Amino acid sequence: MAEGKAIDIIKRHGQRPSESFAREKLHKSVVAACISAGAPEGHAESIARAVTDDVLGWLDTHPEVTSHDLRRVAGRHLRTHHPDAAYLYEQHKNII
Amino acid sequence: MDIATSLAIVTLAALIHASFQLSVSVLTLLSGHSLGAKRSQARTLRLTFGFVTGAGIMTLLMLTFVAYLFQHFFGSSAPQYIWAIACGLLVGVGLSVWVFYYRKDKGTTLWVPRAFARHLANRSKATKDTAEAFSLGLTSVIGEALFILAPIIISALVLVQLPTAWQLVGIGIYTVISLITLGSVWVFISSGHSISAIQKWREDNKHFLQFAAGSALTILGFFVYVCKIITDVVGVS
Repeated sequence: MAEGKAIDIIKRHGQRPSESFAREKLHKSVVAACISAGAPEGHAESIARAVTDDVLGWLDTHPEVTSHDLRRVAGRHLRTHHPDAAYLYEQHKNII
Repeated sequence: MDIATSLAIVTLAALIHASFQLSVSVLTLLSGHSLGAKRSQARTLRLTFGFVTGAGIMTLLMLTFVAYLFQHFFGSSAPQYIWAIACGLLVGVGLSVWVFYYRKDKGTTLWVPRAFARHLANRSKATKDTAEAFSLGLTSVIGEALFILAPIIISALVLVQLPTAWQLVGIGIYTVISLITLGSVWVFISSGHSISAIQKWREDNKHFLQFAAGSALTILGFFVYVCKIITDVVGVS
């Protein structure tokens, strides 16, 4: 799985320095979206684990991705588990 | 202009103020981040209450400051050209709201300066204590000054002509009514409604809110123009 190798995440079309993929960071953001959407904590954790695994599988074939791609793919997988959380996850930058 | 008409104008202006969405957006974001960071419901409520209080205090300060300026420069009866400018401003802002209020993007992105929006978004994410949430409430009202200044100006003009006791009543009415939407969102959050449901409703109804705010501003502009300027010129009491 992608966990073992370094994957560069290109931030904001290269305007900010790229950083290595951090599983924990993705997991935490998915948990936050699920809890904000009203999911109980245990359920949010298990959804986040499933989504993170799905994203890691996708990253196996993509050694360099943008943060936007990562969010889009994570959002797509999250939608199958919790559509409301996926909505918040994808829209959080379009609220203000 | 009699007291009932004056208070009706203040009430409509406050409803228009309440329909503007920057403070509601920041409140939605603040509660979303607070719940997502696994803070307790009580802590989230304290933060959001601090925010709503801050927004209320800044609204009160802005209204009383503008009223004080009018009272200081023109006394209790402002000249007709000031009323005409205020009416023009209402209609102008009303038309601008129809065209510009929301950006074309998905979601509820507003036409406020992007640096301001980024600051509010970043701070609402990082806010941990009630005092900072309070200051965020103050700032979010300043952030939408471009839109709320017109209803505040017309309310201030109307209020300075009233007897002192009614001025206080009018200020109270304006502040409380302008907080109706923020208060409603706060009640929804405290009763356990999900943030995504609130945000989805806001997104689904954004064009209606935009149309309603723009129309109400335009109608208020024409109403005050007829009520104050034309009535005075024609000499009808």
